[in-house]
Amino acid sequence: MAGMSLLLRAAAALGSRRVLSRTAGGGRVSLLGRNVVFPSTIAPVRHGSHERRLFYIKATDFYDKRFLSLLRYYILLPGIPLAVLIAYVNIFIGEAELAEIPEGYVPEHWEYYKHPITRWIARNFFDSPEKEYEKMLAIIDAEAIKADLRLKELEARRLMRERGDGPWYHYETPDKNLIDYSHKAEPDH
Amino acid sequence: MPEGLDRDHEAYKEPPKRTPAPEEPLSPFHPLAILGNVLHYTVDAPVTVFRDWMERQRGKHKFYYYHRNYRRVPDLTECLEGDYLCMYEAEAQWKRDMKVDYEIVKIIKERAEACQVREGPSHRQNCAKEMEQFAEVSKAFADRYADLGAFGSARKCLMKQKHRMIAERKAEAKQ
Repeated sequence: MAGMSLLLRAAAALGSRRVLSRTAGGGRVSLLGRNVVFPSTIAPVRHGSHERRLFYIKATDFYDKRFLSLLRYYILLPGIPLAVLIAYVNIFIGEAELAEIPEGYVPEHWEYYKHPITRWIARNFFDSPEKEYEKMLAIIDAEAIKADLRLKELEARRLMRERGDGPWYHYETPDKNLIDYSHKAEPDH
Repeated sequence: MPEGLDRDHEAYKEPPKRTPAPEEPLSPFHPLAILGNVLHYTVDAPVTVFRDWMERQRGKHKFYYYHRNYRRVPDLTECLEGDYLCMYEAEAQWKRDMKVDYEIVKIIKERAEACQVREGPSHRQNCAKEMEQFAEVSKAFADRYADLGAFGSARKCLMKQKHRMIAERKAEAKQ
């Protein structure tokens, strides 16, 4: 199909009249101006069974083509190196083999995974599952201590309110002995 | 073991055929033989050559991976109230045990399926042992893990067991 159109284009190029001079065609200057050079296939040639090249008026596909072209470019730009890298790793390095843990040997946390890229990610970016477990336990411990202290605080408040002997839930009042009752001694004054 | 089942297990072995009549070999001009040869030389041989080359490249530096060995920690029944660390570890252990139980049921099911495929039309009488084992195992699994919901935990499983025991005791007391 592509070959056919190339063939047709070659035939058209050979057969077309080359418009070399601007004044060919009766001395008139073309509408586009004096200094314009036309491409050689501007004048379509009628050669019998040759198809006519017509200018079909259709909606623009410029923006669509541009979008798809850019999409392909930006996907393949990291995509091709990644594909090459993954193919290299799979062909030349290959996956790990399952083995029994040797006596007295504690494997590193990345040695529990099969694929080399997974092992690399686990080795360089992630903490070991044991560490994650311990981090979770630390969080739970902190929250447990906080919950315990909060309950104790509520209990302390309740008791202090009830018994009234603690530093909370009372205001300091002046001493009873400082009250001056002298003006109450003679009621009719 | 998701990697591979134990294909040498006696549950998977074919029983000996009763009429071992030898099959005569196909003549090389038979269409099936021609097709076989074509496939062999266009697909099988190049792929095998490439695969052998790839295995040689990979064999230059081998490395291994291992399965995790988890220690046993105290159960949920052995945790004190308010000891949230013990409870977390018990829950994690219960989840791992549940996964192991899932795989056990899968293996028993695969054995029953293999037996059925192998026996063909007479599977109902020849596979009785495998079917019974599968029924037993799946009933035990359902007793323990079914109906716990999406957020099932060791605590809910324990409560389910408690209710089951209460129901059993009531049923016994009625008699």
